[in-house]
Amino acid sequence: MANPLLTEKSGDTHLLLGNEAIVRGAIEAGIQVVSCYPGTPSSEVPDTFYRISPEGKYYFEYSVNEKVALEVASGATLAGAMSMCTMKHVGVNVAADPLMTLCYVGAPGGLVLLSADDPGCHSSQNEQDNRIYARLAGMPILEPATAQEAKDMARDGLRLSKKHGAPLLLRTTTRVNHLRGPVEFGPASDPGKAEGFKRNPSKFVPIPAFARPMHLALMERMEALKAEAEKSEYNTLSGSGDLGIVCSGISRAYVNDALENSGLTDKVTVLELGFPYPLPENKCLDFLKSVSKVLVVEELEPVVENDLRVLAQKNELSIEILGKGTLPQHGEFSVTLVENAIRATLGEPPVVECDCTLPTLPMRPPNLCAGCPHRGTYFAAKKVFGDDAVYSSDIGCYTLGILPPLQAADFLICMGSSISAGGGVAQASGQTVVAFIGDSTFFHSGLSGVANAVFNSHNILLVVLDNRTTAMTGHQPNPGVDKTVIGENDHPLDIETAVRGLGVTEIRTVNPFNQKKTLAAFEELKDMSGVRVLIAKEPCPLYTRRVYKKVAPQVAYVSETCDGRFECLDRLACPAMYKEGGKAAVNPILCNGCMLCLQVCGHIKAKKRGS
Amino acid sequence: MSANPKIRIFLTGVGGQGTLTATTLLAKTVLAQGLDVTSGEIHGMAQRGGVVESTVLIGCKSPKLGHGEADILVGFEPMETMRALPYLKKGGLIISSTEFMPPLSVAMGKEECPTIEDIKAAVAGCTDKVYFMASQAIGLEAGAVQAGNIAILGALCAAGELPFGPEALEEAIKVNLPAKIQAVNLKALELGVNALNT
Ligand code: SF4
Ligand code: SF4
Repeated sequence: MANPLLTEKSGDTHLLLGNEAIVRGAIEAGIQVVSCYPGTPSSEVPDTFYRISPEGKYYFEYSVNEKVALEVASGATLAGAMSMCTMKHVGVNVAADPLMTLCYVGAPGGLVLLSADDPGCHSSQNEQDNRIYARLAGMPILEPATAQEAKDMARDGLRLSKKHGAPLLLRTTTRVNHLRGPVEFGPASDPGKAEGFKRNPSKFVPIPAFARPMHLALMERMEALKAEAEKSEYNTLSGSGDLGIVCSGISRAYVNDALENSGLTDKVTVLELGFPYPLPENKCLDFLKSVSKVLVVEELEPVVENDLRVLAQKNELSIEILGKGTLPQHGEFSVTLVENAIRATLGEPPVVECDCTLPTLPMRPPNLCAGCPHRGTYFAAKKVFGDDAVYSSDIGCYTLGILPPLQAADFLICMGSSISAGGGVAQASGQTVVAFIGDSTFFHSGLSGVANAVFNSHNILLVVLDNRTTAMTGHQPNPGVDKTVIGENDHPLDIETAVRGLGVTEIRTVNPFNQKKTLAAFEELKDMSGVRVLIAKEPCPLYTRRVYKKVAPQVAYVSETCDGRFECLDRLACPAMYKEGGKAAVNPILCNGCMLCLQVCGHIKAKKRGS
Repeated sequence: MSANPKIRIFLTGVGGQGTLTATTLLAKTVLAQGLDVTSGEIHGMAQRGGVVESTVLIGCKSPKLGHGEADILVGFEPMETMRALPYLKKGGLIISSTEFMPPLSVAMGKEECPTIEDIKAAVAGCTDKVYFMASQAIGLEAGAVQAGNIAILGALCAAGELPFGPEALEEAIKVNLPAKIQAVNLKALELGVNALNT
């Protein structure tokens, strides 16, 4: 059966994840090229495109990083293809270089950049607000608040981008990416073939002489887009009260629910900005003139708030504008938080949240899975280096190695930084540095770090945690994998060869579940100087189960002779293990059969699975 | 759709337990009844054995629930039920599993879980509309431990706070779940409904 997301029919309603709705919107617009680098909360967008790609009419790729992904999409739109490029908010930092100039060069075929921002840091290292990027680069923004809008805005954003030749930012936040709601399908467009690239250097080659007029052209495009925002049906007015509320993104949902809950609907006029940039100035000005006070409800930075303040100042309006200060500049909002801000502005008493007090409960932090190969690598590294080394970490499942008892992550900046920032520590202080990087992250931005470390003679031991997939974001393929959910990788890249090609001479490859060999390799590399690389190669067991359809034939059990020293629990902390009575025990359902614990304690034995 | 009833449901469990699958099934059941539905979930780092929280909201716009906003709290693990209590509106309905899935610190003997009595006492301080059930045991009785979640949803539909009953869930199981696991889940649904009435 064809995937329902690919149907040409319209009129059906499906319950979709916000991220799936974006895929459908792109298909309705006639998407031709999709590139991405996965990152939560954006990952299901490319994963869905990927899964249905064998039947789809578009080209899809997982690019090695966000900069490359945006460059691929840039080339595609210059060749006249309607293109989409997806990433999480911090990915846009990686893609920022091409982005700034792409907006000068333009997007003849249409190009939507999906930035999935993460207020509240549900799965990210910061809360940056990428609406500011759009202002820096000069891109219009659409900001959905429901699954239906995620679909419609992906479609309309692509069309608008193509119409004006302007790259457009589809800005979501975690709540929108991961909400589910009914989505009514429109007809799908047949994309046909891209028009092809038409040579025109003065338009497409930003040497200074051409870049200057390009900047002017960009400003003209933004003026034209302002006119689109003025008439956009995504910018709506409702209510008729004296207090004005301006809201954008998911805050629109909170405002609507808060007003219904509180019955204050008749005291406020609401301006919802689903198309908030370029700011529809006339619409906003009329609004500011129609109310006596304004509350701006937007998560994170005071972006719309500042726009409105400028607008009011320019037009000599002395209206009071509230925003940050009344509402927080960090984290996510909630309906009650927004309701209380509206109440406070109206001079009404707040509603009280639940007042029950609970004792402190044990936390349930995420943990490396049972049978995760990273546990073996960290265990060996700690055995050899203890607390004497500085452990430079990177972005992936293995960041969870920060937890006790492994505690093998001392600092972290961004994708690829373990090598370069690790080198910085080593060169500045002479401390021993062990840096960890995953295979996907290695291809993302580790290669240039290795080249830099070799060139500058950094003193660093780099451990590539090669679990043969991109595990953290949902097991997407990367250049090194052999196999994916939809087939073989035709061109698997070999990390050892790559590292050798970059000039590293001391390289060891081990299976981290073989502790003896892993320890020996660490000991050997410890005594050397310069850039040394240890590749700890063993697939993620969850991936092995799903893609290679294999499970380890054995599981561990603790023999009667266990003397209750709990070295296994205290030093390995595999989640399949627990204490029972005075002894350790293994839960055979959770055990992945990696046989690591057997090498830590002689009282642990193996038996056939299910026996 | 302002004629819709407004009902806010908060669901919580442990990563890998099937909390999100149950949430989606419930949302599809609501949608099939012609009601306006939004559902939200937060995952990410949580999937490596952390806490998973999700919502199903009938007749509301936002996918998120704040403290004191939930009409119903569904807990697929008792300690997570307790942790989520601040989300419940005073006097709201709770359906919860009684079977613990101890976090690592507890398994390692470094911390202790509250007892089921502690949890029942905490719950009693917030509401008296509460049903506890051994959902995994029910799931096993039906044929698969994962079906325990469906037993809990069955009990939820039978508790009389939703604008539809267990038949709606039965229909959603038949339409949405793969044929080979339907029988087990329909059995779990029936056992869940029975557990509510005993
Ligand atoms: S073999 Fe030991 S370390 Fe490996 S998954 Fe099983 S219990 Fe955990
Ligand atoms: S998903 Fe794979 S790589 Fe990630 S923690 Fe689990 S076993 Fe390890």
